[in-house]
Amino acid sequence: MLTAIKNLIFGGNNESKDVAKSRLHFVLVQDRTGLTNDEMSGFREEMVKVIEKYFVIDKDGFDIKYHRMADTTTLLINSPVIVRRVGSLNRTPANTVVEESAASNV
Amino acid sequence: MSNKTLGAGGKKDVGEAIVITSGKGGVGKTTTTASLGAALALKGQRVLVIDADIGLRNLDVILGLENRIVFNIVDVAKKICKPSQAIIKSKKSNNLYLLPASQTDDKDVIDEAEVRYVLEQFKREFHYILIDSPAGIEQGFRNACAGADSAIVVTTPEVSAIRDADRVVGLLSSKGIEARLIINRIDFDMVRRGDMLSVKDVQDILGIEILGVIERDEQIIVAANCGEPVTYNPKSKAGQAFNRIAGRVCGEQIPIPSFDGGSLWNRLTRRLGVNQ
Repeated sequence: MLTAIKNLIFGGNNESKDVAKSRLHFVLVQDRTGLTNDEMSGFREEMVKVIEKYFVIDKDGFDIKYHRMADTTTLLINSPVIVRRVGSLNRTPANTVVEESAASNV
Repeated sequence: MSNKTLGAGGKKDVGEAIVITSGKGGVGKTTTTASLGAALALKGQRVLVIDADIGLRNLDVILGLENRIVFNIVDVAKKICKPSQAIIKSKKSNNLYLLPASQTDDKDVIDEAEVRYVLEQFKREFHYILIDSPAGIEQGFRNACAGADSAIVVTTPEVSAIRDADRVVGLLSSKGIEARLIINRIDFDMVRRGDMLSVKDVQDILGIEILGVIERDEQIIVAANCGEPVTYNPKSKAGQAFNRIAGRVCGEQIPIPSFDGGSLWNRLTRRLGVNQ
């Protein structure tokens, strides 16, 4: 996230109002959720890991927004997906699962 | 909860109390309270503006009534005087009255129950009661919100003002007070150059309904110098904006003018870095 902000400031023809918008989104998520910087990074990393169990994602495009509307607030997670991952990291083959539950019934 | 429909220009028994707040100081709460109050009065509404900034009163000065103060909100709250003795009729309108703050007390001298009592004394006599909140989110802010039916949050299109406005919107929401937004001091040249957040940017970030947009206007300072709200100056863009806002408060459908400047070509070429 910080690298993205640095790129915004030093790279490209980005206008200062775009920098302001990014910074505000970042700071308001912290203010609204009460999470610390470290907690927010931790949350983001864990979310990425969970989604990566099932999909290959574009991490640069991954974005979390804390969106306030009239009566409710919503966590909006935007995760560009490249392709569905074939054979996820932790999934075990189906027959093994059946055997395990059969074993536990004994 | 809300008297919003009652406030829509129709007959009603009880006035609508609106707190004008911001979090951040210096963004235009007092100017908004005075100018919007004056604009509502121009439309024939009976309006009371209350200065809730105890210890740092300013609403009297903006209205040019600083020499007419006898009693103030603390006197009414503590029953030292009759409510009618404390309110001051404005110079230019028979419909606009001021209840000033005290200048020598601090913000803890009265509490929320006392503020509700004060509002009760006036709710049957005025269509609108506008409460000018102090900056911050402490007792002064809590007092100003006591008894309010709705809120107007004032912000400028700047990072720190928006951050504070966001916090205040959250606090108001937790009190069950619905808030609408006024964006003050916008400069559309800066917006076109990409150096200032646009109306849409601010709306996306804060996520609440926009009541009005006011351009940066030198006439506001001139108006403050003379103690005459900018509402009465037909040449002032800010004055025109406040008059439109008053219409919207009364329930009229007045669209926010499209200030969107610059042709599509200009905006595209600027994005590509070809048109600095």
